[in-house]
Amino acid sequence: MNKKTRRNIHRAAKRTTFYIFVTGVVIAMLLPIYFVVSLSFLSTREAYRYPLPLLPELKIHYKMTHGERGYLLSVYDQIDKEYQTVMDTQDLDKMSVYMKSQLGAPMSVSEIQQQIARLDTEDPIYFTRRKNLLYNYQTFFQVAGTGQAVPALIRSLEICAMTIVISLFIGGMAGYAFARYYFKGRNALKFSVLFVRMFPGVAIAMPMVIILVNMGFYDQPIGLSLVYSVGSIALTIWITASIFMGIPISLEEAAQVFGATKIQTFIRITLPLALPGLAACAMYAFLGAWNETVAAIILTQFNPTFSVVVYQTVLGAVGQVNLAAAGGIVMALPAVLFTFFIRRYIHQMWGGVTV
Amino acid sequence: MATLQLKNLTKRFGKKVVAVKGINLEVHDGEYLVLLGPSGCGKTTTLRMIAGLEEATDGEIILDGVDITDLPPRKRDISMVFQSYAVWPHMTVYENIAFALKLKKLSRSEIDRTVREVAGMTKIGDYLDRYPTQLSGGQRQRVAVARAIAVKPKLFLMDEPLSNLDAKLRVATRTELKAIHNKTHATTVFVTHDQSEAMSIADRIVIMKDGEIMQIGTPEEVYNESASIFVADFIGTPPTNFIDVQVVAAGGTLHLVNPHLKLPLSPENAARLKGQEQRNLILGIRPENLTLTGETEANLSAPCLVAEPQGSHQVVSIELDDKLLKIIAPARPAVHSGEMVHLKFKQESLRFFDPQTGQRI
Amino acid sequence: MTKTKKDWKKLGEKAVPYLLLLPVIIYYTAFWLHPVLVSIVGGFTDPAGHFTLQNFAMVIHDKGFVPALKNTSIIVIFSVTLEFIAALFLALLINRKFVGANFFLFLAMIPMALPSAAAGAMWITGLTAHGWVNSLLYYLGFLEKGKSIYWLAGSNTSLLALIIVIDAWQVIPSVMIILLAGLQNISEEMQEAGYVFGGDYFTVLRKITLPLLKPTIQTAVILRLISAIQIWLIVVILLGFSRMPVLVERIVYYHKVVHGLDISYQMATGYTIIVAAIVSLVSLAYLQVSGAFKRDREAEA
Repeated sequence: MNKKTRRNIHRAAKRTTFYIFVTGVVIAMLLPIYFVVSLSFLSTREAYRYPLPLLPELKIHYKMTHGERGYLLSVYDQIDKEYQTVMDTQDLDKMSVYMKSQLGAPMSVSEIQQQIARLDTEDPIYFTRRKNLLYNYQTFFQVAGTGQAVPALIRSLEICAMTIVISLFIGGMAGYAFARYYFKGRNALKFSVLFVRMFPGVAIAMPMVIILVNMGFYDQPIGLSLVYSVGSIALTIWITASIFMGIPISLEEAAQVFGATKIQTFIRITLPLALPGLAACAMYAFLGAWNETVAAIILTQFNPTFSVVVYQTVLGAVGQVNLAAAGGIVMALPAVLFTFFIRRYIHQMWGGVTV
Repeated sequence: MATLQLKNLTKRFGKKVVAVKGINLEVHDGEYLVLLGPSGCGKTTTLRMIAGLEEATDGEIILDGVDITDLPPRKRDISMVFQSYAVWPHMTVYENIAFALKLKKLSRSEIDRTVREVAGMTKIGDYLDRYPTQLSGGQRQRVAVARAIAVKPKLFLMDEPLSNLDAKLRVATRTELKAIHNKTHATTVFVTHDQSEAMSIADRIVIMKDGEIMQIGTPEEVYNESASIFVADFIGTPPTNFIDVQVVAAGGTLHLVNPHLKLPLSPENAARLKGQEQRNLILGIRPENLTLTGETEANLSAPCLVAEPQGSHQVVSIELDDKLLKIIAPARPAVHSGEMVHLKFKQESLRFFDPQTGQRI
Repeated sequence: MTKTKKDWKKLGEKAVPYLLLLPVIIYYTAFWLHPVLVSIVGGFTDPAGHFTLQNFAMVIHDKGFVPALKNTSIIVIFSVTLEFIAALFLALLINRKFVGANFFLFLAMIPMALPSAAAGAMWITGLTAHGWVNSLLYYLGFLEKGKSIYWLAGSNTSLLALIIVIDAWQVIPSVMIILLAGLQNISEEMQEAGYVFGGDYFTVLRKITLPLLKPTIQTAVILRLISAIQIWLIVVILLGFSRMPVLVERIVYYHKVVHGLDISYQMATGYTIIVAAIVSLVSLAYLQVSGAFKRDREAEA
């Protein structure tokens, strides 16, 4: 019995160490992400506090009294745990703008006047406003890329859609050929598909400028999707080939025995079975096109993609860290969501990780 | 050469699943012991615990008087043939066999001598420089066996080593395994779900179900003296026929009765069931113990449903209360479906089981 | 008559795979081979259109070239090594059933899903003097109040180290997932046989697990090599252009930042060819050294 308890203790200790380690790894992975998310919800005033607050303030507590030059406005600071003076002015417009842009808890001039009226009876007065947590996001879409953020977002989605269609259609056909037919040069061709991905993207993007200008596609979404498809077609071929190989040929033969033509068989039997895998390919194409920045910088001029807009905002971010964070989150969100949907296939692509 | 004892060996997965429920077992020196049971019965888990690949939740494993329960596999002085053979594809056949010997720090000449000796014994001497991918399934299986013999272990473990071979090769290989055992006399624990495999090679068979041992015995014992309905049904092809009957006293002796059957018992059988009048029980009888006979001598008559000729004999099936009753009969005269068959029960081969517990009476 | 019809049909069936491949071949000719050739030709011509090697001479004499080559090499060597070792360690550790494993895998995918612009936003907001990294260190008690570390003002060596660590954060999970997939493709019995036949954990790892994992390791390393050579965006976001030159950064610099000059196009093209050559050569050399070609020939034979 003694031996049994010893065995149990040993096992429990091992398991605990293991979970502590895994937790550590998870924290290391998520901590930077947590801080950016938190940063994107901070008001400008909070974002320039040091050390940065761990959590964004949800409400702003104001304190107002008569100051030397007019009205003295203070806000409660969650780190120092005291009211801190932010301005002393008579200009209520200025105060209203400050509340909106620096504190993220806007009040109109008339609302401020209502509060000021209370100063006659009590001094100082206290009031609280809910913070607009999405203020940075709203500002990002208004300001970033000199108002280009929303059109750039739409453009990026267009590019992604076109890339998906091109690479699924062309890559899927080739994938089917590799999966179902043995023909001369099969291996050489498969190797060359890999070689396409070995050649750096920049090396293609540069000469593509001239090619696309000649085609009239320079600085156009279609031009970029043609470039992005080069990479995603190769990936689509590899994935679809393995998907089609996984669908037993006997299922197709059975359909043909019961009188279906080859094309009917493909549409009725093979395609539906391959659909989840094809969806994964589509999302890969989406991710590739959505995340890409280099070629987009080179191949656009007046019509940047969303990633270029974020890149520009981040590059000039020294003055606006919370705005940069919001841009980064908007950029990352679709990518993370799509990855979540295709996580099964990421595993499958590398040979079926199932833990 | 060694003896192996399992004492109250238990394996739990998580909180609920108990794969092995405290089994006790002794394997004698030089014995070829087969763990037999349907899939999920705990036989492979038991073997893996003996190998040290699975931690025992409770209980002890004792090899030659030494408690090895908590030792890692490499310190147990065992060797194993895996179901998938687990022949390492990046090593040549020679390197595969020499792996354990090198780790034992044997001299180069000694390793070479042993490798060639076991390769000769398993007939793979010509393939020593090949990689496993260049070998057939049967040859790979021999490499796995050779690798296992080479270390001259106290205990030999085999986890369904024949299940990946085709039917013909499987039968041939099991004969060879038995022949190798006759040379080495190594104590062996062999796991299989194939009862005919177990019958043909085992010194003793351990039949397991749901993590418990149902019966331990020689092949004859488990076949002829099955301890329960489960064993009687699991062993033998076709399996034992089971008939629900009632014991009725009439005309100075006991009869087994059901709507189709009135079977007077021999004095020996009657003595065994004495005092059990009116009791319901299950009669078990193996197909070869039902003989075709004339109408007058018959205990049971029914039309033949199907007759399956097997060359040396034929298997005749009749339907009795929605259950098939199978009879192994001589190949001639051929029975045709629809034809009336008359059966006689061999009295000395009747086995009686309790309908509630399934145990033999 | 019927015979010729049959022949036609047979021929048609033989043509099916080629017809299916035709779009890819056309597409790659137009949008891959064509720009690649244009790029190569452009690398060897001067503005007047004559053959020249002057572009490369200009690149080599560019004051950013040697530092770019040096920095890129250091980043590639250290980050690929570090990422591979850390990822292998994690993959070996994770390669077992445990509660929450699927959730862990999903979390591990977040860094790898992050677009580089978003990752840039994350680190630039973190590494400024009053960024979240210093704040975190303060909360953990490593920094006194009011003090801060100037991450982006360090020496070249410390900046390189910083880039390598940041790259590792983003890349280790994806390498881990590739290696994990490889590990799970190895039948467990292979390793168990190693234990039964006298191996301890490290013997089995060295003699059995790693050799069997070799094809996966090759895939992971080659993918990493290709993308590590092309690192630039994070460098530019953190440090701006020309502060710590790397090869691809030079291309974008000449193409986008100082464009319009005669030399800028030649410089950019020259750098492009050099990067393309390095990526291809390194990949091929690695595949050759690690014996991938040999194995493929074996597999075909």
